[in-house]
Amino acid sequence: MKIFNIESLYAGYDKTPVLKEITTSIKEGDFTGIIGSNGAGKSTFLKTLCCLLQPISGKIEFLGKPLFDYESSNLARQMAMVPQFVENILPFHVNKFVGTGRFPFQNFWDNESKEDKEIVHNSLVTTRTLHLKDRLLTELSGGELQLVCIARALAQSKKLILFDEPISNLDINHTIQIMDLLHELNSNGATILTVLHNINIASDYCSNIMALKNGTIFFEGIPDNCVTGDSISSLFNKDCSVKKNPVTGRPYIFPHPGFTKNLRSN
Amino acid sequence: MKKKYKYILLAILGGLIIISSLSFGSIFISPQDMISFINGSGELNELQIILSLRIPRLVMTLIVGASLAVSGVLFQAILKNPLADPFTIGVSSGASLGACFGIIFYMSDLFILLGAFVGSICASSFVYLISKLRRFGSSFLILSGIALGFIFWSTVLLLFALSPAQQVHKALLWLMGDLSIARYSMLWRAVPFSLFVVGLSCIYHRHLNIIAFGDEFAHTLGVTQRDIRNLFWIASILASVSVALAGIIGFVGLIIPHIVRVLFGSDHKRIIILSAISGAIFLSLCDTIGRSIASPYEIPIGVITGFFGGIFFLILMMNKGVSE
Repeated sequence: MKIFNIESLYAGYDKTPVLKEITTSIKEGDFTGIIGSNGAGKSTFLKTLCCLLQPISGKIEFLGKPLFDYESSNLARQMAMVPQFVENILPFHVNKFVGTGRFPFQNFWDNESKEDKEIVHNSLVTTRTLHLKDRLLTELSGGELQLVCIARALAQSKKLILFDEPISNLDINHTIQIMDLLHELNSNGATILTVLHNINIASDYCSNIMALKNGTIFFEGIPDNCVTGDSISSLFNKDCSVKKNPVTGRPYIFPHPGFTKNLRSN
Repeated sequence: MKKKYKYILLAILGGLIIISSLSFGSIFISPQDMISFINGSGELNELQIILSLRIPRLVMTLIVGASLAVSGVLFQAILKNPLADPFTIGVSSGASLGACFGIIFYMSDLFILLGAFVGSICASSFVYLISKLRRFGSSFLILSGIALGFIFWSTVLLLFALSPAQQVHKALLWLMGDLSIARYSMLWRAVPFSLFVVGLSCIYHRHLNIIAFGDEFAHTLGVTQRDIRNLFWIASILASVSVALAGIIGFVGLIIPHIVRVLFGSDHKRIIILSAISGAIFLSLCDTIGRSIASPYEIPIGVITGFFGGIFFLILMMNKGVSE
């Protein structure tokens, strides 16, 4: 089943399109990685999908209905977004913060119901952050904060979660921990759409890769087919070689350092 | 210190301040005398002072303090700026222009009050309309409020330059906060109205928790532009009502929310209610000090709030640190 169906989408800021002529679809259960260089339109694409930006023209259908026909609270019940940064981090207790994920499900007067508390608890367990629940957000490390943000998204929706560079600025340990978590959520039925800068991580984990260049889709497909030396070289305008990751069997990219140019030409 | 003790301390402090604000003033009336009024004895003229002057003034102080503090909480959340207060978006300068206009042209108290209210509502409407063109960005709101403030202030100064000294003096006293016009006739309407608007803002406490984290964050959770606009108007109306009643009283709306956050945490459910209570208590404390420190003269309340509030806040900040 198609979650998103996008046809000739143009979107951007102040009427200048960043995205041009995007036609694609996201299917239920996909683990899609969006790659591309800075400024290629990856974040813009994500923002357009969660209604933070109005498209200039084109069509976005969400579960068969135009995206902008959905009431914002109804949409918030069906998809969650983990931003690259939370704009303004306040000294909130972690379980309260994760509890904000239940906001779209509550009426004006409702307090946290028993069900809400249970869902918050389960999200903390899934992300292995239960031990942090009484800490303040401002006291957490970058990796812990990212896990807590994912727990918050999970409390909001288990079906569809969008991530904007979830592993930027994290060490290898946290990177793998978070990508494993995404993989686990995906195998439990979540559709995941994530912007990634690390192509090798994208190739190892994603079921589907979408590469953006200058606001258009440059290539799209399963990593085994579309992550090749040529495709990545022309995506970033940099020479690359490709080998297989000995553990996952997925393609692994080695960008060529500039100083090796002379060595190779000899 | 545990939260429970903080609540108890706040309640005791509040009770003491309310009793002392009835006791102190141009003449001292002890709490024992007040109890004897209830029993039907005691001096009649003291009873008169309490009933017709001090109680309405206390009620007005409480309601103005609470409104200013809650308005500050709302503005700090929707503007995501710890330096925002009810006057950041030009409410105070709009009210000043309206009120000074009334004072300079020898109008009655009622017209001065109306002038202040209309002026402040005009200021927030103007800021609202021009920022609507830009999807309500917070820095845009703040900057347009500041620009508007300068325009209004210059007009006030122009009025002063062209007016007789006596009226300018009267206007200046209004600008420093003036609680002396408290009468039952206007409190009858103002108090239920303010309480109603404060109650409205309580309903939005979960929205505020989310909006404070950022606009995009709030939007992906289903908070709409309309919610944010409603909050903007709730905050503006609270500020306008209190400015119309009592003139420009700075500091309460800026600092009380910070103090409450330092002492009680960041959840808006608590912040709104506790800011209302603390703002009310703080303002009546300042008013009591202002009335009794140099009796029979009154020191304008704006002077007291700034002076003692500033010192208290600096001490608190040194000891506990203030969250950004």
